[in-house]
Amino acid sequence: MITLTINGKEITLDKPITVLEAARQSGIKIPTLCAHEVLKPYGGCRLCVVEVERMPRLQTACTLMAADGMEVRTESETISEVRRGILEFLLINHPLDCPYCDKAGECELQDLVNKYGPTVGRHKEEKRKVAESHKDQIFSRNMERCVSCTRCVRMCSDMQGASAISMIARGTHTRMEPFTADSFNCEYCGNCLSVCPVGAILSRLSLHSYRPWQVDKEVETICSYCGVGCTLVVQVRDDAIKRVIPKMGAGINNGMLCSRGRFGYEYIGSEERLRVPLVRKNGKLEQSTWSEALGLIAEKLTEIRNTNGGKAIAGIASPRCSNEDNYVFQKFMRMTCKTNNIDSVSRTGFAAAQKYFEDLLGQGITGNLIDGLKHSETILVLGGDPTAVNPILGLAIREAARDGANIIVLGNAKGLEKFKTVQVVPPVFNEAVVLEEVLTEVFKAKGVRGERPFVDKELKLLSKRTSGKVDIEGYEELKKALLETESLSIVLGMDMVQRTDGHRTLFAVAALTYLLEARLYTLSERANEQGLIDAGCVPDMLPGGRPINISDFKVKFETVWKGTIPDEDGLTLLEIIEGTRNKDIKALYVMGENPVFNIPDGSSVKEALGNLDFMVVQDIFLTETGEMADVVLPALGWTERIGTYTNLERRIQLQKKAVESSSGMEDWRILSELSNKMEYKMKYMQAEDVMHEMAKVSPLYSELTYSEIAEGECLWPYHGEPLRGEINEVPEMLDVAGDYRADFYLALEKPLFHSGSLSRRSQALMKIYPEASLKVGAASAEKLGLTDGDKVQISTSAGSLDTSVIIEDSIKDNRVYMSNNFAGSGVFNLMKFNVDKVTKAPGIEGCEVTIKKL
Amino acid sequence: MENFLLRNIDNPKSADISEYEKAGGYKNMEKALSMDADNILGEVKTAGLRGRGGAGFPTGMKWTFAKADPKFPKYLMCNADEGEPGTFKDRPILEKNPHLLIEGMVISGYVLGAEYGHIYLRGEYPEAKDILNAAIKQAYDKKYLGDNIMGKGFKFELSVHQGAGAYICGEETALIESIEGKKGQPRNKPPFPVNVGAWGMPTIVNNVETLSNLPYIMEIGGEAYAKIGSAECPGPKLFSVSGFVQNPGVYELPMGTTLRDIIFKHAGGMRDGKKLKAVIPGGISTPVLPETGIDCAMDFVAMPKAGSMLGSGAVIVMDESVCMVKVTYRALKFFEHESCGKCVPCREGTDWLRKILGRIEGGDGRQGDVELLSDVAAMIAGKTFCPLGDGAAGVVAGMIKYFKSEFDEHINDGKCKFSA
Repeated sequence: MITLTINGKEITLDKPITVLEAARQSGIKIPTLCAHEVLKPYGGCRLCVVEVERMPRLQTACTLMAADGMEVRTESETISEVRRGILEFLLINHPLDCPYCDKAGECELQDLVNKYGPTVGRHKEEKRKVAESHKDQIFSRNMERCVSCTRCVRMCSDMQGASAISMIARGTHTRMEPFTADSFNCEYCGNCLSVCPVGAILSRLSLHSYRPWQVDKEVETICSYCGVGCTLVVQVRDDAIKRVIPKMGAGINNGMLCSRGRFGYEYIGSEERLRVPLVRKNGKLEQSTWSEALGLIAEKLTEIRNTNGGKAIAGIASPRCSNEDNYVFQKFMRMTCKTNNIDSVSRTGFAAAQKYFEDLLGQGITGNLIDGLKHSETILVLGGDPTAVNPILGLAIREAARDGANIIVLGNAKGLEKFKTVQVVPPVFNEAVVLEEVLTEVFKAKGVRGERPFVDKELKLLSKRTSGKVDIEGYEELKKALLETESLSIVLGMDMVQRTDGHRTLFAVAALTYLLEARLYTLSERANEQGLIDAGCVPDMLPGGRPINISDFKVKFETVWKGTIPDEDGLTLLEIIEGTRNKDIKALYVMGENPVFNIPDGSSVKEALGNLDFMVVQDIFLTETGEMADVVLPALGWTERIGTYTNLERRIQLQKKAVESSSGMEDWRILSELSNKMEYKMKYMQAEDVMHEMAKVSPLYSELTYSEIAEGECLWPYHGEPLRGEINEVPEMLDVAGDYRADFYLALEKPLFHSGSLSRRSQALMKIYPEASLKVGAASAEKLGLTDGDKVQISTSAGSLDTSVIIEDSIKDNRVYMSNNFAGSGVFNLMKFNVDKVTKAPGIEGCEVTIKKL
Repeated sequence: MENFLLRNIDNPKSADISEYEKAGGYKNMEKALSMDADNILGEVKTAGLRGRGGAGFPTGMKWTFAKADPKFPKYLMCNADEGEPGTFKDRPILEKNPHLLIEGMVISGYVLGAEYGHIYLRGEYPEAKDILNAAIKQAYDKKYLGDNIMGKGFKFELSVHQGAGAYICGEETALIESIEGKKGQPRNKPPFPVNVGAWGMPTIVNNVETLSNLPYIMEIGGEAYAKIGSAECPGPKLFSVSGFVQNPGVYELPMGTTLRDIIFKHAGGMRDGKKLKAVIPGGISTPVLPETGIDCAMDFVAMPKAGSMLGSGAVIVMDESVCMVKVTYRALKFFEHESCGKCVPCREGTDWLRKILGRIEGGDGRQGDVELLSDVAAMIAGKTFCPLGDGAAGVVAGMIKYFKSEFDEHINDGKCKFSA
């Protein structure tokens, strides 16, 4: 215990912290410019000087550790004079351009000068001159305003782990510069902006259009992009989003943001937004009215249901929509349309993995807090780059690495290049084989655990099948780490799920989790992949993950829902597409999804959907799928409505409303209005009414309210009752070994700067990453004689397209990567697939590609 | 007193290992490696050796702290970043007597349990770099460095790291940052380098001259050593004398020799019959002394009492033809150029001082400038991250204290009377 007094106030500390931190905790404010609550002490600005009894000189509170018996004064005539002196120094080379500077009004230097002075400057010499830099698309740099606090640099290197910027030169010539000189080549997280106390680095998105005092309102909400669910603050002026900023100390992200979260908001205000319902007339989509559009849908769906039965109708839900939207969607499909044919594009990865894991190990196996990664001794990363898919989760891995954790990467992961301790790159598409080998070693060492009969049985079978011989660099370290670790986390990306043998990877990951009591994390690219499963947008489960084929559950839902739920499990995503191809399915209802673009082999999907009698798409943009629809309905997007989202750690969070929308309706409201027209009554006036019903009917959500969720600590298993057993029987593992001897294979790139087709409408993200390109490893590039920027034609059995080459050292095998984000150049159009018969996810491995230099 | 540090220095081949051995070189190391390390540390404490870099911290105490830290490996850094204007005392050792330094470092490494040594050499000493590297190679060849030195079971690896021209890298934590490959800027203390230094490991940073004293302590013993020069900080001391004296150069004299003796007895007095005006006694960052103040003993205890500091022992002698405003301006140009930019008072304050001084010297001084200079210097003093800013402030304060009339004259006349 340490007891000290600050300004006469006695403060007791249970662990050693700095005097500044001790003061902050007890509500005493000490001015700082270089110190920042999330950064390590620096001691550069000297503003936090304090008087300490029995110490001859003034001390900087940010670097001084509190000691027992210390007597500290934070304000006195002497201290004020020193601070005034420091501020006078800071102003001698400062341009004093407050009237023109965007930072004015929220500038820490301005505030401090206001408090401590000086009121008059004595510096009559020439000031330092540095030209403002606008060379970067996103950041503007004004180094005359810079106070060299180095917060941005420390943020970039110590917190973000990007190390993209540095202080260069010395003395008064000191300034921040990217290592790439004028324009940045970085992760564009913008976290440097969050900590800059002055107007030295500013976002060009809001440059000269933003004044802190002109913000009409600030709304603290949750990000719309990925499955992490970061807390951020939306600043609104004239009903438009002016800026997105983080809130220090708040949320899972604790003040950090990624490029998508910070700069990707512009799509909401896009000119391309759908404004009115569209109805196909004479082969063309034409503007219509809500009553005409909804009347037509009700008529058509009722007709098809009555003629062909509910099985002829299918619905595709959305991991971008809220729990409420998805809940009402599945209820609409089940109760109004009488079908269990409900799935989502999540089936191509997250939902497939989640179902397999839960069938094997019980519900909630992935309900682990992201923060837990920081406390892991060993982290196994496989199937993708967490720092691109779920950037803030990626930061937790980087932080663990800095604290000495063993980071093992299986495959390629660009964002962990500087942080990994071991990397194992097996021959292409052989990751599962390596994983099974190491699993066998772990099984031999740990023995039968005896809690999960299926897993135990399969492990025994597996140990007979594996060879025990693996000669790949890093394998021995991988084995050693797994055998020795006391605390393991496994982070699984979807690259290894989107395989014909995806279930084997899933089994191996599940079994490792089981044997080593690991924390398991599945990367989730969209905001509500978990939520849509929990809301019941899967063909075999009701809300709360209750199997339809267990009648006790079904009956309970039927009682509350007042009607009957179809008995049989519905079709999964790819089965739905096949159903449309062979015309078993005649009507498709798509909510907030773009299957033509977001499912591999897009042209074949397009062809299949062309067979439909009737298709409805509700979305915020007219998508490739929308263009094929008979009716298109404008929905509301992020910040335009309230709703809950469940992140990948299964935390439920509240997205709030910040702006009014002139058109469009909430997805749940569209569906309930439609249902009412189809004679199945839904009486929700607001989103919270939907949550009330979910809390009543879903065993997971019992008693949940918005006010509880809004507190941000709504964690698995809430007040609910998860199913802990082996939920469904798991099919045996299949032998699907392939032979991969082609020169190059095409794979899906998941860029940090994009997400689905949403980010296309965010100008900032388009500036950072404007078009698709082919990412090629150094060895492959050499083999092909390619250099950065070369134009190439790439061809697969599905088609070909022209693009340009970027060489990435982090790609260590003969895969070449391309994104599926840009209209007309989505890689899915070039990929044919087989289905993993166990998980029903598409296997997109083994996509042979030829690359021709143009 | 017989020279030790500069022994054999007039021999043109003094840097060669065979010449060094002929003069008894490496015998002291052999003796040390046969002794118990703690006993050597005892000798160092008895000798009363204090760091020769400028701060005068007791070497034995620093070593005790480093030895007490249980972490390994420990690093021994030789601070050869001799960058302060007026200071060139280490240069003869580095260029003429490199094996003395190597021998001293091996002994020190042995005492400290440090198996790795680096010599952080100032970037502007390219000849010294070649000489040191050649000497290190010779020492490796003779098994004076490397594994199992002289068959005594002690390992010591030594290399030279050349700085890139930043004065601040002579500050021990900035030196460590630089050796780690980072920008040279001082670190927070505590933790001190003896506990958390290079790559987070216990690190001992000692000056060239300090380490070169080790063989001597081994040779004559701590007790005999303690009898040389001043009682409170004994031993031989190198003084680099420059400026308007007959015989500028490096002098090895007992600690505590008076400034007057250094100038008039050893350096041959003033040149061209001119009158002594002022002396900067210990390198540019130590406050100036007027002619009346040079009867003080040059050591770490007496100099602060005389209103200045021993510093590195770089005696800069100025005669009556020297403009003190210009000297101050040149000094501040140096400090402003060398300010690392980390802390506000040093970064901005030295810039401001330099600008004002340049104006006064150029004939554009204004009424109130001297008061402003004093004020700005006071705003720096005691508020900076490291002593660099204090040095700059001290120079200005010292100059104004003794030579205010020269500043006033510049301002009133609108010109510098010393300029042709």
